[in-house]
Amino acid sequence: MKITGYRLEKFTQQLDRAIGDSNFPAGDDLMDMAILWIDTDEGISGIAPAGNDAVASLFHVIEGKDPRGVVGLWKDMVDWVHKGNNEGAVNGAIAAIDVALWDLKAKIADEPLWQTLGAREPRAKAYASDIGYNLSDDELHTFYTRMADVGVDGGKIKIGLNMKDDLRRIGIMNDAFKKVKDRPYLMIDTNEYWSPKQAIRYINQIEQHFDIFWAEEPARRWDYDGLRQVSRNVSAAVASGENLNDVGQMYPLISQQAIDVANVGFGHSGITGARQVANMCYAYEIPVTMMNCSANFMAPLAAALPNHNMMEVVDPGREGAFESWDNHIEDGWIVMGNKPGLGIEVSEKKLKALQAVEFGRKPGFPFPRREGAGLWIKDIEPGEVSWK
Amino acid sequence: MKITGYAITLYEFPLNRRMGDANSPSGRIRGASNVLELFTDEGITGISFGGGGAGPQIKSMVEGMLIGEDPRRVTGLWKRMVDRAFKAGHDGVVNDAIAVLDVALWDIKAKANNEPLWKTLGGSNPKVHAYASGLDSPLSDDGIEDWYGMMATDWGFKGGKLKVGLDQDADLRRIGRMKKGLERATDKPILYIDANEVWNPKMAIRKVREMEEQFDIAWVEEPARRWDFLGLRRISDQIKAPVCAGENLDSLGDFLPYFHNRSADVVQVSHGMTGITCALQLADAAYGFELPITLGGSPGNMNAQLAPCIPNFLTLEAQNAEPDDGVMTSDIKIVDGWAICGDQPGTGVSFDAEALAKQKVQTVTASAGPSPFGRRPGAGLWDNPPSKEEAAAAATGVTGEHYVPAHGSKTQ
Repeated sequence: MKITGYRLEKFTQQLDRAIGDSNFPAGDDLMDMAILWIDTDEGISGIAPAGNDAVASLFHVIEGKDPRGVVGLWKDMVDWVHKGNNEGAVNGAIAAIDVALWDLKAKIADEPLWQTLGAREPRAKAYASDIGYNLSDDELHTFYTRMADVGVDGGKIKIGLNMKDDLRRIGIMNDAFKKVKDRPYLMIDTNEYWSPKQAIRYINQIEQHFDIFWAEEPARRWDYDGLRQVSRNVSAAVASGENLNDVGQMYPLISQQAIDVANVGFGHSGITGARQVANMCYAYEIPVTMMNCSANFMAPLAAALPNHNMMEVVDPGREGAFESWDNHIEDGWIVMGNKPGLGIEVSEKKLKALQAVEFGRKPGFPFPRREGAGLWIKDIEPGEVSWK
Repeated sequence: MKITGYAITLYEFPLNRRMGDANSPSGRIRGASNVLELFTDEGITGISFGGGGAGPQIKSMVEGMLIGEDPRRVTGLWKRMVDRAFKAGHDGVVNDAIAVLDVALWDIKAKANNEPLWKTLGGSNPKVHAYASGLDSPLSDDGIEDWYGMMATDWGFKGGKLKVGLDQDADLRRIGRMKKGLERATDKPILYIDANEVWNPKMAIRKVREMEEQFDIAWVEEPARRWDFLGLRRISDQIKAPVCAGENLDSLGDFLPYFHNRSADVVQVSHGMTGITCALQLADAAYGFELPITLGGSPGNMNAQLAPCIPNFLTLEAQNAEPDDGVMTSDIKIVDGWAICGDQPGTGVSFDAEALAKQKVQTVTASAGPSPFGRRPGAGLWDNPPSKEEAAAAATGVTGEHYVPAHGSKTQ
């Protein structure tokens, strides 16, 4: 079997709700998205719910090759981009190609991807993540309650700009999960808005009220000294890694014991790269948590990792171009079905309709860094969010 | 697809040359192995070799955990087996059992896809760099040059690994003879040496530095004890050659001190390390820490199947170019010094049923079993070159006598 071509479709989607974090609390409900198909001479195509224009510059590396050699092809692509390195748009393209190749590999074997990757059970434990600084107290409560109703027993909340608001909102999350678990897993996420010493001061204040399971990105992604300093001065685990691209960038965080939990995901250059990071963490006894993604498409890998704890579920409605996807949340777990590959079916009709829409503005995501980050706290300004 | 049962068959065979290392300079003339067959309800049988001493553990794992399971979910089954062995740890014979079962599961997974294992694992290029490994302590100086010369001429090997450690002058001489043999294939032979933990760190530093005055050594293997991460690191800091270590470790956890202290410059893994699943975890972890992976010796050079999917793969140990036990068949061919994985579904390593029936044994005799020699007296303490008796036994070659010196003998 040989790779013969690819197709990349880009579109902008309006989500069911806006998403926002400490860098952009107002949030936005538009998101640029893409779908990549990789075609073969035997009529089977693999898809990735991702991709960008850099795919064009990499396709020659895999053209004519057997798609089942996905790990070898990953290495060929990474070696090809050697000088500029596996970063930025190129990293995104390698990741998308890698996922589409894994989808193909599983489809060729006529089995779900979780089985191709060797998972015994088609499930990964879930946690709820709001990405919802923009959500009002009521909306927050509704979101976490919706997740608690399907058995999810913990959540993560975006905080960092105002201690009074943050404590109240963590309390809302805590209350929503009480029906599932007396002591729900409570995670907080500041998306690199704090300095290490700010993180230590604020997390210690929060810990007087709540038992925090992990604090995510309490310092900059590369600041392994700072992250380690935070970890040594709070009770909560420090989680980080989502903004790094590969094992090389994760190396200092792991070897310096700067993180207690590793965020792994598509952004670590695909399924192949994310698995490498997870295995590296496994050697250091560091649990990994899978990043959120549309249709939970990384859940098959989460199910196969020996050191995966729980996967982030946001569910803001990024699946507008899909006819169906093969997982649902049950008893707090993402449960996958038996459809071959990722289990995602794209709707050409929905895709065309999405591509026809003109929004007349650029999506706010990915969010820029907020003024004051790492220096001082710029509180939410009047009118910046609906609830304040 | 479901696992339905298993069979194990022990067998023995004569070696094609006398084999030994610093712990066994008189060498051995017989070997033993075990064929594990793992049966499924769809007629596919997983085959793997090894685990001969782990019969009861294999039985308990298969009957207690694997029957009724889908073998294609191998990573999850691996985790269950490892978690089951939690309290005592997955070491020793339990580890052997998990490893041999894991290989059989991967064999089934690849066969179910009707593809060779290297492809199932995601490899795109079946050509695997390899080097010749003589396990050559019992060979004479001429025997060394002849064997590496044969491996260079007949099979194209351009690198070799010499067993060293007991006699520095002999080692210096014999590295030269290996080099000369390999020069039949290349003007730049790759020279590895392996001391099998017979030195302490300072002995290693003295001896290797002296060797490096004459030879460019591409790695020194196990120059100190397997767990001595501080000693291995010290050696690496004081010699030019990379330190290669890991073959006697079992699991990812065992490697944590190596990674954290950069004790090994080259990490040696094999399917014997809690199976292919663990070997690939190790390879990924080593990749993250910028450490190359070498795959150890394996039946039918089966480890070659892992190499194409390992991004930081360096080279594969080949103790023979072809299976030499009369029983095993292998689809991995040595061509021009490379191990080429074939297209046969699964690991590509299988057995000849008729030969197996002939060579089958109920229990393995001591001289053919694992480690009849144990660790050499004086190891890590003083120099203990081969005795006259050991040298005489070694000189009798493959048709001669099996000689194991009495333990505790000071003259040894």
